[in-house]
Amino acid sequence: METIKHDNGQDGWISHGLPYLLGILVLLVTPLFLDTYGQGLMTRFLIFGLFAMSFNIVFGYAGLMSLGHAAFFGAGGYTVALLKLHYEVDLFWISAPLGILVATVIAALFAIIALRASGIYFLLVTFALGQMLYSLAWNVKWLNSKGMQGITGITLPDLGIAGFTLETLSFYYLVLIIFLLSCVLLYRLIISPFGLALEGIREGEPRMEAVGYNTWFLKYAAFVVSGSFAGLAGVLFAYYNFFVSPNHLGIATSFLPMVMVIMGGLGSFLGPVVGAAVFIFVENFASILSPQRWPLVLGTLFVLTIMFARDGIGVYLWRLWTKWRPDFGSAKN
Amino acid sequence: MGEGTKPNKNNQEPKTMDWFVINLLNGISYGMVLFLIAAGMSIVLGAMGVTNLAHGALYMVGAYVGWTVAVKWGAGFGLGLLAGGLSAGLVGLAIERGLLRHLYKKPNEQVLLTFGFVYILANLCLWIWGGWPRMPFTAKFLTGSMEILGRSYPKARIAVILVGLILAVVLWWLQEKTRMGAIVRAGMDDKETTMGLGINLERAFALIFFVSSFIAGSAGVIGAQLLGVHNALGMDVLLLALIVIIVGGVGSIQGALLGGILIGVIDAFGKAIFPQLAMFTMYVTMIVVIIVRPSGLLGRKI
Repeated sequence: METIKHDNGQDGWISHGLPYLLGILVLLVTPLFLDTYGQGLMTRFLIFGLFAMSFNIVFGYAGLMSLGHAAFFGAGGYTVALLKLHYEVDLFWISAPLGILVATVIAALFAIIALRASGIYFLLVTFALGQMLYSLAWNVKWLNSKGMQGITGITLPDLGIAGFTLETLSFYYLVLIIFLLSCVLLYRLIISPFGLALEGIREGEPRMEAVGYNTWFLKYAAFVVSGSFAGLAGVLFAYYNFFVSPNHLGIATSFLPMVMVIMGGLGSFLGPVVGAAVFIFVENFASILSPQRWPLVLGTLFVLTIMFARDGIGVYLWRLWTKWRPDFGSAKN
Repeated sequence: MGEGTKPNKNNQEPKTMDWFVINLLNGISYGMVLFLIAAGMSIVLGAMGVTNLAHGALYMVGAYVGWTVAVKWGAGFGLGLLAGGLSAGLVGLAIERGLLRHLYKKPNEQVLLTFGFVYILANLCLWIWGGWPRMPFTAKFLTGSMEILGRSYPKARIAVILVGLILAVVLWWLQEKTRMGAIVRAGMDDKETTMGLGINLERAFALIFFVSSFIAGSAGVIGAQLLGVHNALGMDVLLLALIVIIVGGVGSIQGALLGGILIGVIDAFGKAIFPQLAMFTMYVTMIVVIIVRPSGLLGRKI
């Protein structure tokens, strides 16, 4: 189908890199023209984009369908919230690494249990493990603010720089920096031999085993890495949302990255980010029009995505770009 | 603590025979509801390879419709049971014929699609019936209690145990002894060959899905005395069904029955002994089973 090769030097780089550069530029400049509500919305988009990308490592690349990914997202968020609630800690350099650490440890434990199962059982087990944390958060007093479900009173983090406090816009840029760094890290992971091996497992695990790969360990590593990035997203989410609830650990949140990944394009690197953008847009739109009917809209979105956009909107956009790109390239020459 | 003091001395619960029998009966009756919930989902998963996360939502539809017919219209419990089953069955059939049919052998897509219906059905029920939870209800002739083993026990709970046992036998008979069951088992093992023999699997699948949804809906009416009727049922019941299926194993009636009773009994005693850890004992059981036997106690090897 593709007739034009784009492997010759600068031209290839431009036609490949331009969408990314444009995207980064948009992310850098747009919030300057938005009110705090819009800036918050973009922060939300980046956080869920990161969450969806982390999920994509397990779901899109390794082909493992986990339905308990919110456990790691929520664990990161709860760590931040608990540090604030019980120890008055809001220093970014303490609460963020600890949040990631807790999420990683939980992912490492869950993966041992979940990877004993495969196929549909894997899905059921991860689902139930996530719900276990949900029910813990629901029942244990220490995990809740006084007299309510969930933890309130979380603030934007303290960066430890004298005379500087974060506010909506500067927090957005902090999230943007973390998001871009994570993109780079995850991308390097995906193009590494490790990432390729994961795709090999997705396509045919017995074959990979026969060739001599330790597929269990590869899947395990993918799960844990993905869990720690989900934890990072959860940490940022807690700062952003000022509130965490048991729902952020449970199935309702686990489904969000899944719908984003499928909507954006399963197994494509930036597809999940596109999916997150579409999702946040629809969510915002629906909650303005009719907050009571949001679940109905969300459910319909799931159904429509599955029936009509199974390849993913992100993949569709990329195809459009590759179609349009050759003209642009030749104009350069 | 002194050497002579017993740690259990000021424990509130007298651990007598009464306490044991009552909790056991509570556990078994709850376990039967769990069986009713999980059976249909397990059959669909085993026979069609379809993960129907909307199963709990279908249960909820059945519960609401059953409440409307039996309590609001006062048409009697039997009619409520039938209406609950039929409404859930028809909704299930519509989902299967309209959408799920195109997604056989695509587990990821099935999961997302059916979970979409958890939201859709919950929100539609909220729209139609409002947010307030309904009182638990049961048939008129089942109110009150009866003597069993010298103790009085609610009739309705005994009835649940009986209904569960009857359904288990009927389903087992359908699966093992009838032509329909043979088709289902053949389709499970080798779909292509079965279709090649001229068997209309599509029609069989539609029927299985309808029966499974029907059971879910009537379970919603039967289980209303224990779980109530409210808007979060879709999710709660789904979770219970999944735990039972994980513990019992996918695709067999016996597995769902064993898993249901086991979880029911463990939950009843767990609540009596550690009331603050409400659902936690279920999860512990499930994790132990996963570690010891990943395919469930009576599941097929995977």
